[in-house]
Amino acid sequence: MGVPTCPVVTVAFKQICILNAAKRGMPTLRLVYSPHPVWGKSPEQLWGYMNGPDPSSGSPMMPEMTSALTRPLTAEDQKTGTETPSVGPATFGPDTSKNLQDFYRNNGYTDFLPVIIPTEENVEEMLAGTSHKPEEIVGKLAAGAFDPWSFTVRHVAINAVMAGAKPEHLPVILAIASSGIVSLISSTNDLAYGALINGPIRGKIDMNSGIGALGPFAHANAAIGRSWTLVTKNLANGGIPGDTYMGTLGNMLNYINLIMVENEEASPWEPFHVEKGFKREENVVSMFSGLSVSAGQVGKGSGIGGTPHFEEQYTDLFSTFTGFFGGLLLCDPLCAASLNEQGYSKAKLIDYFYKHATQTAKEYRERNWSYLFEYGQALRGVEPFATWYKLPDDTVIPKFPHPERLAVVVMGGQTDPVSQVANFSYTRSVSIDKWM
Amino acid sequence: MKINRRRLLQAIGMSPALLAGPADAAEKKAAPKAAGGSEKLVGLNPKGMPPKITLFPLAPRFSSLDGKTIYMVDIGFNNGDVFFQQMQRWFHEHMPSVKTIYRRKIGAYPQDDPELWKEIKSAGAAVIMGVGH
Repeated sequence: MGVPTCPVVTVAFKQICILNAAKRGMPTLRLVYSPHPVWGKSPEQLWGYMNGPDPSSGSPMMPEMTSALTRPLTAEDQKTGTETPSVGPATFGPDTSKNLQDFYRNNGYTDFLPVIIPTEENVEEMLAGTSHKPEEIVGKLAAGAFDPWSFTVRHVAINAVMAGAKPEHLPVILAIASSGIVSLISSTNDLAYGALINGPIRGKIDMNSGIGALGPFAHANAAIGRSWTLVTKNLANGGIPGDTYMGTLGNMLNYINLIMVENEEASPWEPFHVEKGFKREENVVSMFSGLSVSAGQVGKGSGIGGTPHFEEQYTDLFSTFTGFFGGLLLCDPLCAASLNEQGYSKAKLIDYFYKHATQTAKEYRERNWSYLFEYGQALRGVEPFATWYKLPDDTVIPKFPHPERLAVVVMGGQTDPVSQVANFSYTRSVSIDKWM
Repeated sequence: MKINRRRLLQAIGMSPALLAGPADAAEKKAAPKAAGGSEKLVGLNPKGMPPKITLFPLAPRFSSLDGKTIYMVDIGFNNGDVFFQQMQRWFHEHMPSVKTIYRRKIGAYPQDDPELWKEIKSAGAAVIMGVGH
């Protein structure tokens, strides 16, 4: 914008800031670093930061900042033009399988587990899984606030081969890749992503929605989930610690992500994709994002004697969540049947959660996520945040800002009336049929 | 759910021959060849296509900050407001001719705030933006 600017960031973000500035065309951006962290520090401690050194350079921080705004520009600072980053040669080898495994792993192309080497032959075989041309652009992906990378059907097929997928899995993987949603993102929070598959394709490619639906018990579930991680790493340049990934603990869901397959046949309710306006016979993947999954058995009211009150149990669990990410109920068909007998539809159940999972306005405002993501919206007048930031401390408000942040999916093998709850919310649905 | 009894028996270590006739086709299938350690392969590059980078020159600098205005733009991380309060205090003590204005950027940290950029530009000011966790 033509205004002399000096970004100041805590030193933990030095590498990601330098690389992101370069990717955005300012490789000489004058960054100054403060000690880390800033949160939780008292005014006097932060006053100490102002009078201390930039921990990166060792020079006094504030004079460094004033210098950044006044030091004359160099020739490099004023450079213009364009550059095209290289991703290396189109092929690697010829070499032994073992050496190529090492090469792919050591160059960050894998999830650190062995992959199928994507030879021309097995990529061609994978491409038979779709009618789309190999060079067709599928979409764009960005692993955070970066300019997105683009990619073709062939790129997705290469990563699907590496993940161990079969050609019949490719339309689902293409649909996920086309969604624009990555499975690894640069946030310091340990985010995770989910994909829910609905429609007849579930049976055709042997996806598991029954016993152990969330576990390692079906090739399609595992390979599709793993493909998404490799797609993110290789087609969005995601998942590079210090560059495009900053999650402090990481998330074990990131290995194959939260791959969900709705047990439509055992559910008393309409399938998720039908709720979203698709026909039952359409094949659809619905995308979710969030943080974690919790076992449902630990909630109160889990049904010892008499009629179980699953709605209370789930509400109890949702009450511990951050409303920002929403709540996703992964409900065994036995629980769904019981709730259905008590008159609950999916919509009525969601309405129950929305009304009964509550917090005080003070509790809401003291959450880091509220301040970081919703206070800014409150300043723009976006509801309900604008109102929630004005209410008296003890006013009871919903945990979730909108019922749309809540979702119910039926899955599982009916071996026990238990469920799981996830701090996840729905983002969008994508047609799988389009990629067949 | 389809049940394959032969697979069930195999899974618990029993011979599927208990259920098979004398000419069990599955048993006669050729075993896959062991992977040859010396076979040479050519692997395809799995990376996508990065965007072109357009280089932007840095904005012209001030020759001095004396009498100038600096906007302190808080991108919204926790305690950023307190951080910038201390920075304002530093300028007040060390460079009192500098006028500082604190602004919390509207929207979450990745969101643009064109109105604020317009205000800063029309004020002919510099910016210090931060700060992260």
